[in-house]
Amino acid sequence: MSRVVVLGAGIAGHTAAAFLRKKLSKKHEVVVVAPNAYYQWIPSNIWVGVGRMTIDQVRFRLAPLYKRWGIEHHQAKALSIHPEGDAADAQPFVTIEYTTEEKKGINERIRYDYLVNATGPRLNFDATEGLGPGKNTVSVCSYDHATHAWEKLQQSIARMEKGEKQRIVIGTGHPTATCQGAAFEYILNVAFEIRKRKLSHLAEIIWLTNEYELGDFGMGGAYIKRGGYITSTRVFAESFLGENGIKWIKRAGVKKVEPGVIHYETLDGELKQLEFDFSMLIPGFAGAGMKAMDKNGEDITATLFAPSGFMKVDANYTQKPFEEWSASDWPETYQSPAFANIYAPGIAFAPPHPISKPMTSKNGTAIFPSPPRTGMPSGVMGKIVAENIINEIKTGKQTFKHKASMGKMGAACIISAGYGIRKGAAATMTVHPIVPDWDKYPEYGRNIKYTMGEAGLAGHWMKWFMHYMFLHKAKGYPFWWLLPE
Amino acid sequence: MRNKTIQSYSDESYPPFPTKGTMFWRRFIPWQAIRFFVLNFRILKIVVGGHS
Repeated sequence: MSRVVVLGAGIAGHTAAAFLRKKLSKKHEVVVVAPNAYYQWIPSNIWVGVGRMTIDQVRFRLAPLYKRWGIEHHQAKALSIHPEGDAADAQPFVTIEYTTEEKKGINERIRYDYLVNATGPRLNFDATEGLGPGKNTVSVCSYDHATHAWEKLQQSIARMEKGEKQRIVIGTGHPTATCQGAAFEYILNVAFEIRKRKLSHLAEIIWLTNEYELGDFGMGGAYIKRGGYITSTRVFAESFLGENGIKWIKRAGVKKVEPGVIHYETLDGELKQLEFDFSMLIPGFAGAGMKAMDKNGEDITATLFAPSGFMKVDANYTQKPFEEWSASDWPETYQSPAFANIYAPGIAFAPPHPISKPMTSKNGTAIFPSPPRTGMPSGVMGKIVAENIINEIKTGKQTFKHKASMGKMGAACIISAGYGIRKGAAATMTVHPIVPDWDKYPEYGRNIKYTMGEAGLAGHWMKWFMHYMFLHKAKGYPFWWLLPE
Repeated sequence: MRNKTIQSYSDESYPPFPTKGTMFWRRFIPWQAIRFFVLNFRILKIVVGGHS
């Protein structure tokens, strides 16, 4: 009998738990520890943030589903990992702290044979003074943040309806923040909502980003086939903002936000201020902040985790200059090099290095996007980690039949704006691979056949289709396992 | 004197802007229906082929 513990029920963790439970017999135990009572389909939070969806359209309760599947579920956050057990018991375990009202603050020890750390990111609002909900900006990183964003946006719209001008600033809220795609989608949706209300003449909408050039999206940009040319995603992104009447400020690292004022530094080392009426800025991400202890209670956190709090896996962490980075530096199995029964798929793994070229201002501030690992790649990682664990449990051998490197897999990013069958618009981008492989594709870094960008209603329909398809899959409805990640 | 706006030399003036024809094809439902299936197939191929 084996006991597999999954920490986190986001895209990677939930996918891993679903396949583990489906493919392992009932004599094996699958346990999920997640601090939130709900699963949320994060990409649709954008629509919550413009009032087009309610939070209950993008989330569902985990407990009934896990009960139906036969998964042991603890609504709790993980505090520490003890891969060698302790002096009294050699069985590895994690300590958790419950987050439910009834058991709040109660700690428990959860033993495991295999551990899947899919804790995702901690939204590190504290890394930027004055950033985030409850302070001076809003966020769309979770459904409750997106609901709050919509409340604030409605206030700005109401002022415009009274004839008042509003400056709306959307983008990245930390010099090394990632997830530009989500912020980009949000700004296009906000522009759509304002245009629909015929208020564009009263709105100044600004894209504020840490990207060196627009269209970088934390993956160093891409070359795409478009309009008879092979062109940069910079042109694609600028064109989209331009046609929606959105201005932009690039190479900007947000350092501080005061009520109505953003303070940022540029790559040139200039310290600037930008006044705003409504602002949604994506925070920096950090690891979940778990500790790790050996059997004697000594702190081995630095063995398992990078300083950022993300877990070290089978990547090449050798420090080297940008010119020497390779797609092969990226992990394939997400196994911890320190403990063979621990894995970290999704955002929880520590990337070997960024994908975008690191840039530093004259003042020494790093201003460039961190690498994205969200959405589709996270689902794929969760699945292959589950399949490798299942294979090992069934055969008794660790063979890694399943691999998924960001240096080999592709990804799709659909930036949809608007609503309805005929009124929507979208920019659909695919890249293959996510991490450029300049050895294999010396001309453009990626397979140009599968790296493309296209604007049109079709992408908008796809975003809709994916909303329902991925929630169908996550809810374990009939034939869910046939749907791709 | 009439108020005039000079668009050139700003960042926003450099990217390509879609023509009426481009906007038509972006919203022309029969064409977009074809693109919907093409894009879905392409993405499915990327997802399935990206891992072993």
